[in-house]
Amino acid sequence: MIIILIIDKDYTKELRVNKMTCNELDKFDYEEMNYCLFAIMDIGELLLMHGAEVSRVEDTIMRLCCAYGFARSDVFTITSSIVVTVMTADGKAITQTRRIRERDTDLGKVAKINALSRRICAEPVALEDFRKKIQEIQNMKQAPVLLHLGMYMMISASLSVFFGGTWMDGFAAALSGVVLFAALRGSTALKLNSIIQSMICSGITAAAVLLLVGAGVGVHPDKIMIGNIMLVIPGIQFTTSLRDMINGDTISGLLNMSEALLKAIAVAMGFTIILLIGGGGCSLI
Amino acid sequence: MQPYIVQTIMGIFGSVGFAVLFGIYDWKLAVIAPCSGVGWIVYLVCVAAGYGVFTGLFVASLFVAAVSEILARILKTPVILWLVPMLIPEIPGGDLYDTMYYLVQGRYTEFGISSNQVLVEAGAIALGIILASYIVKITESIVRWQEKQRKRRQIKD
Repeated sequence: MIIILIIDKDYTKELRVNKMTCNELDKFDYEEMNYCLFAIMDIGELLLMHGAEVSRVEDTIMRLCCAYGFARSDVFTITSSIVVTVMTADGKAITQTRRIRERDTDLGKVAKINALSRRICAEPVALEDFRKKIQEIQNMKQAPVLLHLGMYMMISASLSVFFGGTWMDGFAAALSGVVLFAALRGSTALKLNSIIQSMICSGITAAAVLLLVGAGVGVHPDKIMIGNIMLVIPGIQFTTSLRDMINGDTISGLLNMSEALLKAIAVAMGFTIILLIGGGGCSLI
Repeated sequence: MQPYIVQTIMGIFGSVGFAVLFGIYDWKLAVIAPCSGVGWIVYLVCVAAGYGVFTGLFVASLFVAAVSEILARILKTPVILWLVPMLIPEIPGGDLYDTMYYLVQGRYTEFGISSNQVLVEAGAIALGIILASYIVKITESIVRWQEKQRKRRQIKD
């Protein structure tokens, strides 16, 4: 944490004008301001971790800083880090940084955090309440495992029929979806690197598909696999990275895109190795 | 005709499944399901009318993005809450896999063709999303400007 005292007198003069508009600040002293920024960073971190766009994270942090009476805030966000420097009305600057390592998409949480920040910007609440509400969202229960398993089966089955498989292929895809889910869970428990994880999981799934076809469940291995592939291939990430780049967040877009491509290569390698061993290489087109 | 109906229904199931995986459990699913289906139908109609994949995906994602922007404005929720699950049928996951499959196998001619295709598809979707969001933003600012003008006139009167 870096704390910079601003001595520039001209700047503080300007800020005093701002002080009239944010009388909220009078209640806080320096320690509390640090604490307040910490809470705002928590919100930003939660948003970024759960799959919000970079522009939304920056916008939310800036609005919250304004609501809590900071005179000026500069936010820089990329997909793996947030840096915020705020200027208090009496001319002190506070900088905090967050590093985001793990990400998983949870749009329900994003919506909840968004609603919370809207409410707070409309009327700022006391810091303690604010912290409590953040913790409520942080400690929200995860969905039951069986529900996720069911969704994996449903997505695999429906997408393999969607891409032109028969009903039997859909059934086989549902079964190999179970294998994929178990492999993903197991490798998450082992705390593997995400590239290695997607390689191993796709390999295991491909083996399961070949075994199923060998046992007479399902006809087209490629159509069965596409349902499972849609679950592990970062197609959404690839599309959002292009959207970010066109939208002007070039760095985040490039980071996201290279991550998506690496992951896709890993998935393809996992499938290819097993297909080469099991014979009958297949592409999906 | 029938395979397209089956495909659309399966696309809806896929969207709902991804929506649940992404933490949406409540009545929002009932909105996501039909809209994602209509989005895929828009793509099918465009392709049947003789347009290419780029135009089809562009129009479909423009439609889906416009719907989710409007829903987000009405219900005060983030746009991606609607957009990401609804776009699932259009996402070029299979082609992305194929590209990487050719790369890993060292079949560079096919790799070139399919990587080009993936970029075109993802680019069409991204363009559709951005165009919809800017149309909504511009409309919003025009409406705001008109309201300002109205207030000014009232003050003058």
